[in-house]
Amino acid sequence: MHAITRPAYEEEAVPAGTAEGGASSASVPRAAAAPIAARASAPSVALARTVAWLGMAIPRLLWAALSLGLFIGAWHLATEYRLDFYIRFVNVPGPTEVLGNFSDMLNTSRYYEHVWFSMRRILIGFGIAAALGVLLGLLIGQYKPVRNLLFPVFEVLRPIPAIAWVPMAVMLWPTNETSIVFITFLGSFFPILLNTIHGVGSVDPVLVRAGRCLGAGEAALLRQVILPAALPHIFTGLAIGMGVAWVSLIAAEMISGQYGVGYFTWEAYSLIEYADIVVGMITIGVLGLACSGAIRLVGNLMMPWLPASAGGGK
Amino acid sequence: MTEAISKGHIVIDHVGVRFGRNASAVDAVTDVSMEVKPGEFVSIIGPSGCGKSTLLNVVAGFVNPSTGKATLDGKPVEKPGVDRGMVFQQYSLFPWMTVRKNVEFGLKMQGMGATHREEAARTLLGLAGLLSFENHYPDQLSGGMKQRVGIVRALATSPQVLLMDEPFGALDAQTRVVMQEILTNMWQRFRISVMFITHDIEESIFLSDRILVMTARPGRIKAEIVVPLPRPRTPEMIGTPEFGALVQQLRALIREESLAAMGGELKDGGLGGFEIDVGPKGMAELV
Repeated sequence: MHAITRPAYEEEAVPAGTAEGGASSASVPRAAAAPIAARASAPSVALARTVAWLGMAIPRLLWAALSLGLFIGAWHLATEYRLDFYIRFVNVPGPTEVLGNFSDMLNTSRYYEHVWFSMRRILIGFGIAAALGVLLGLLIGQYKPVRNLLFPVFEVLRPIPAIAWVPMAVMLWPTNETSIVFITFLGSFFPILLNTIHGVGSVDPVLVRAGRCLGAGEAALLRQVILPAALPHIFTGLAIGMGVAWVSLIAAEMISGQYGVGYFTWEAYSLIEYADIVVGMITIGVLGLACSGAIRLVGNLMMPWLPASAGGGK
Repeated sequence: MTEAISKGHIVIDHVGVRFGRNASAVDAVTDVSMEVKPGEFVSIIGPSGCGKSTLLNVVAGFVNPSTGKATLDGKPVEKPGVDRGMVFQQYSLFPWMTVRKNVEFGLKMQGMGATHREEAARTLLGLAGLLSFENHYPDQLSGGMKQRVGIVRALATSPQVLLMDEPFGALDAQTRVVMQEILTNMWQRFRISVMFITHDIEESIFLSDRILVMTARPGRIKAEIVVPLPRPRTPEMIGTPEFGALVQQLRALIREESLAAMGGELKDGGLGGFEIDVGPKGMAELV
């Protein structure tokens, strides 16, 4: 959105260091020494930018408030008057009821237990998927034999949605917990793997050549040239993978869980605690948003060379 | 002034390169023999597609010759290595590393410790007048600066030879002139052998001790021009009659090859017959 453009220093102030090498070249007219001036004005540029950003941010915040206000207002009216026109708001809890339940819920340890279980499953499942997906993606992308051996299997397994694995996962793994983690892993593994492979494929060949010329062996090339060059694609894969991980987790928890926000939401329906359904939904949304935000943050930290808004995929 | 230089002797011995197989095979280079003596600056010039870059890639170790061999100081070239520094036409700095980390990369690969690396890189960047940009990322630099960093990075591992593949081809004319001057200055300081690929006649004269002109594909060495201009070279020399005569000589040599490269049958003077009655319809067909 508000990409920070770095100043590209204008060509071409010839340095004093090289000028003394050829003494007679001193009379050549030089281009202006612009770079230093560009940096001196940086604070005022930053100030102007902040003001401009505020100017854009305030109306945007107002629009956001209006948009959300309308949505909640409509929700309130629909539930208040128990609208029933094919879509039925008869049993749907209103915003005030949900808010009340939410604040009650925040005071119970049970709520945090559910959140913790879901987060732990995400961390383990997504973590393993990230490690394995990036590693295998690098190897498959870089080495033909590995690709020939592994890729067909992945191509066959990939179209099967993670949810379809639930019965199989329950049979495969000793506990419900591990099978839910497995489902979460499966959901995020393929986007991460495929984006990594794609990232390796789109590494500029001249960078690889430069690496080889500078004495990089196979391992160094993979770790220090191909991996960082593929990072932007990898982070796109991680961002998508995180989204799919949550989809898979919630479905798995609803089907076979005993804890977790997905289970909580389904349980609320079974127990006719309708307001808690919405509490669960909002919780899931917030947690998903926080996890995607974390990916973007890590992406920006790991790729400081990219313009700020481009890091961390979409 | 010049101490005896014994290293950096490139010999290309009856090298031919054929791409593809059977009927679709293309000879990029046929039977080229040449050498770059230790400390010598040699340019190879020719029409585009004549295989001059291929020849450089043989010396770099990226392309295996189909016939003949290339050696550096008597050792056959088999794969890329730090004894041959390479500067590419495309910007090839690692965008995720700062300028200094880019320069340090080759030293890091050699296992040099972090503090020594940093010291060496800072010294070199200082020589090239780039020290104040050591913590910038490549995308924050102009094209000319990127190529300067590229040259510094190639020199950091103290190679015996510098292989340059149209390094200033992507730069604008003014920047290019400044870069040529910087390069001659640096070359004079480091005194290493340079094999320089270009299609710019003035550039090759200004920089080189010797210029080799290649034919259109399949590339062979067509002529060798020794540049008698004294060192250090200065931009004022470009205006001298001596320089002008060399330009004329090279232009004539290359013109024949460019015509051959363009059409085969488009011989000199054949361009005169290129007047076609171009109506609106004819134009569309031509385009």
